[in-house]
Amino acid sequence: MGHPGQTRRDVVSCIAALCTVAGTRRAAASQPELRFGLTPVFLTSDFELLDRLRSYLEDATGIPVRLVTRRTYQEITSLLLSGQLDAAWICGFPFVANHPRLALVAVPHWQGKPLYRSYLIADRDRQVESLDDLRGDVHAFSDPDSNSGWLVTAAALARRNLSPERFFGQTIFTYGHRNVVRAVASGLAMSGSIDGYVYEVMRETEPDLIARTRIVRQSDLLGFPPVACPASAADDPRTKRLRSALVGMGDDESGRTVLRTLRLDGFAVEDPSLFDPIAAEVAILRRTAG
Amino acid sequence: MRTVRIPLAIRIPAVVIVFMAAIAVFISERVLTRLQEAQTRHLGDLATVYLDGLAPALVAPVVREDVWEVFDIIDRARQTHADLKPMETVVASADGRVLASSDPRRHPSWSPLPSSFLAERTTAPTIASNETEGRAVARRDLSSGDRIVGSVHASFDITPLLAERRSVLMTLIGTNAALTLVLALTAWLTVRRMMRPVRVLASHLMASPEGPVEPIPETLVTTAPREFRGLFAAFNRMAEAVREREALSRHLAEEERLASLGRLASGMAHEINNPLGGLFNAIDTLKEHGERSDVRKRTIDLIDRGLKGIRDVVRTTLVTYRADRDARSLQRADIDDLKLLIEPEIRRKGLVLQWRNEGFDEVRVSPSVVRQVVLNLLLNACQATPPGGQVSLRATVEDAHLVATVEDSGSGLSDSAHDVLAGRRDQAVSASGSGLGLWMVRRLVREGRGTIAVTPRLPKGTTIRVAIPFAREEGLADVA
Repeated sequence: MGHPGQTRRDVVSCIAALCTVAGTRRAAASQPELRFGLTPVFLTSDFELLDRLRSYLEDATGIPVRLVTRRTYQEITSLLLSGQLDAAWICGFPFVANHPRLALVAVPHWQGKPLYRSYLIADRDRQVESLDDLRGDVHAFSDPDSNSGWLVTAAALARRNLSPERFFGQTIFTYGHRNVVRAVASGLAMSGSIDGYVYEVMRETEPDLIARTRIVRQSDLLGFPPVACPASAADDPRTKRLRSALVGMGDDESGRTVLRTLRLDGFAVEDPSLFDPIAAEVAILRRTAG
Repeated sequence: MRTVRIPLAIRIPAVVIVFMAAIAVFISERVLTRLQEAQTRHLGDLATVYLDGLAPALVAPVVREDVWEVFDIIDRARQTHADLKPMETVVASADGRVLASSDPRRHPSWSPLPSSFLAERTTAPTIASNETEGRAVARRDLSSGDRIVGSVHASFDITPLLAERRSVLMTLIGTNAALTLVLALTAWLTVRRMMRPVRVLASHLMASPEGPVEPIPETLVTTAPREFRGLFAAFNRMAEAVREREALSRHLAEEERLASLGRLASGMAHEINNPLGGLFNAIDTLKEHGERSDVRKRTIDLIDRGLKGIRDVVRTTLVTYRADRDARSLQRADIDDLKLLIEPEIRRKGLVLQWRNEGFDEVRVSPSVVRQVVLNLLLNACQATPPGGQVSLRATVEDAHLVATVEDSGSGLSDSAHDVLAGRRDQAVSASGSGLGLWMVRRLVREGRGTIAVTPRLPKGTTIRVAIPFAREEGLADVA
C-alpha cells in the first residue's frame, strides 16, 4: 500500500510473463501434434507410465505428442486407418488383417526377442491340462481383435473345426488383458485367453491376482504387438522421428525408465514377415468360417 | 394366611431396586429402539447412496447383458466403498437371473437370483435386515425410460451395528446396575439411620416385660432426630409413670398380705365365736337345769359338739395352711350340727329357718370344708335377710357331688360379694365382715374342686348353690 509504484511495476512484469507463457503455448499448439494411439496390449491403466512415455516421445521427437486410448482395439485400428492417428501400438492381429494399409514403425523386444506367447489361463485350483479340458467353460477373451486374447484360441479351435461360441458355454470380452486375469481370478470366468507378456508383467506387479490363476497352455512364439502407422505415412519425417525415438529409447535415461516399467528391452525395426505365423492363424480361421 | 413382614431396611432398598430396574428397562428399551432406528436409517441411507451410485452406470451394460462391464462396475465399486462393507453386490436381469455378482463363485452369471435377496420389485431402494444372520439386503430396480431392465442388490454386513447395539446394551446394563446398587445401598444406609431411634425405642419397650422399664438415656434423646425427641420424651414420661405404679403395686401387695392375715385371724375368731354363743347358752342351761338328767345330757352333747366345732375350725385352718385333709368323711349329722350353731342368730333376728338335710348318711367329702362353707353361707344369709324373713338350707347328693343350696329373702347379693364368690376379686372385705365369710367360702370350695352358682331368688333374695365332688379313696388323711 505504501509503495504504489512498485506494485504497478510488479503488475506490468506479471502481465509480460503471462504473455510469454501464452505465446509459447500458442507456438506449440501451432505445430501439428503427433497423435499416438494405445491399445490395452500393455498396462494402459498406469497413468504415470503414460505421462513418462508422452514426455519421452515429446523430448525425443521434438513434436507435441497426444496419447489416444480407446476401449477396444477396433476403435484404435479404425482411427489409425482413417488417418486420425499418426501411429498406434496395436496388436499383431489387426496389423496382419490390415497389412497392406498399415506399415511397421517399430517392434518391442521382450526377453531379447520381438516375440511373445498367448496363454490359456484358468483358476488356480482347476485340474485342467489342455484346451480340450475347457469345454463348456465361461471363457474370458480380451478383445475380438486381439491376437493373444482371442485369435490364438479361436484358431486352435478352428483347427478342431470348432468355434469359441460352440466350444465354450459362455464367452466374455473384457477389453483388456488385465481384465481377463481379474475375470478368471474372481471366478466370473472359468478360463481365459491372455497376452503372455502382460501376464508375466502382472506376475511382478500384481502377484496376488496372478496367484489365483494358473497357466493351462502356452502358444508358440508369435510376433510382439507392434507400433504401426498408415502405409501412406510410412516415409513421413514425423514417422521417422517417432521410429528413431522408439528405437533410441534405450539410449535415454527417461526412455530406459519407461522401458524398465514396461519390462521391455527396447524397440527395433523388424520385417513384417515376423507376423506371418499370425497371418497363418487368420487364414485358418477364415477357412473354417468360410 | 400369615404374611412375612420384611424389615423396612430391606423393603425400601428392594423398592428402590424394583423401581430403578423398571426405569432401566424402560430407558434401555427406548435407547435401543432409537439406536436401532438411527442405525436402520443410516444403513438405509448408505445403501441408497451405494445403489443409486451404481445404478446409472449399470443400466446400459445390463441392457446389453454385458457381463464383464457389469462385473467391472460392481467390482470397482466394492473397492471404493470399502468402509460401507457391502458383502455382496448382485446385478440381475429383468427376468431374475444374475448377470454378474461381486462374488461370481457364489452367484455365477446366468444363475437364478438367490432367495436371500429381495425378489419384490420396488419403486424406491428397499432395505431389509436379518439380524440373526447379521446381514441386511437392499434392492434397487434399474430402469431405462419406463421399463425395468434389471435390478441391483447388495447385502451389507450389519454385525458391527449389532455389536454396537450390544455394547450399548451392556453399557446401559452396567451403568444401571451400578446406579441401582449405589441407590439401594444409600437407601439401606438412610433407612438404617432413620430407623435407629425406632430400634432404641423398641429395645426399651421389649425390655419392659422382664425387667423394669428403663427410660431412654438423656444423651440419646438429645441426639435423636427432632421427630423422635418428642416420642422419646413421651416414652420416658410413660416409663416414669409405670415405675411409679409398680412401686405403688408393691406397696399395695404388702398391705394386701397384711390384710389377708387379718382376714384369717378375723375368720378364725368368727368361727370360734359362733359356737361360743351356743356353748355359753348350754352352760346357762346347765346352771339352771343341770339337775335334770335329760337336759344335762342333751346340753353336754351340745357343748361337746360346739367344742368339736371349734376344734374343726382350728383343724380347718390347719387344713388351709397345711394343705392336709380330714381323715373322716362327712356325716349327715355334721351338717345338722350347724343348725344348732345358726339357731341363736335365727332367733335373735326372728327369722324362719327351713332345713332339709337328706339323701345321704356319709359321703367322701371333707366335713370341715362343708361345715365352714355351709356355716358361712347361712351366717351371710341371716345377715342379709331382714327380720321376719326366711332362710333355708337344702343339702343332698347329686352325681357324686354333695350339693348344698342356701336361700335367703334378703335384698340380694351386692356386686362386690358376687365378684368375691365368682373369684373375680380377692380383696373385697366389707366393713361389716360379711365379705370375709364369702371370701373363705370361695377359697374352700376351690380347694375342694367344687363350684359355686349364684342366682337371684324370686320374688326376692338370693340362691347360692355349692357343689363339692366326692374325694377319691386316697384323698383323706388324718390331721388331728
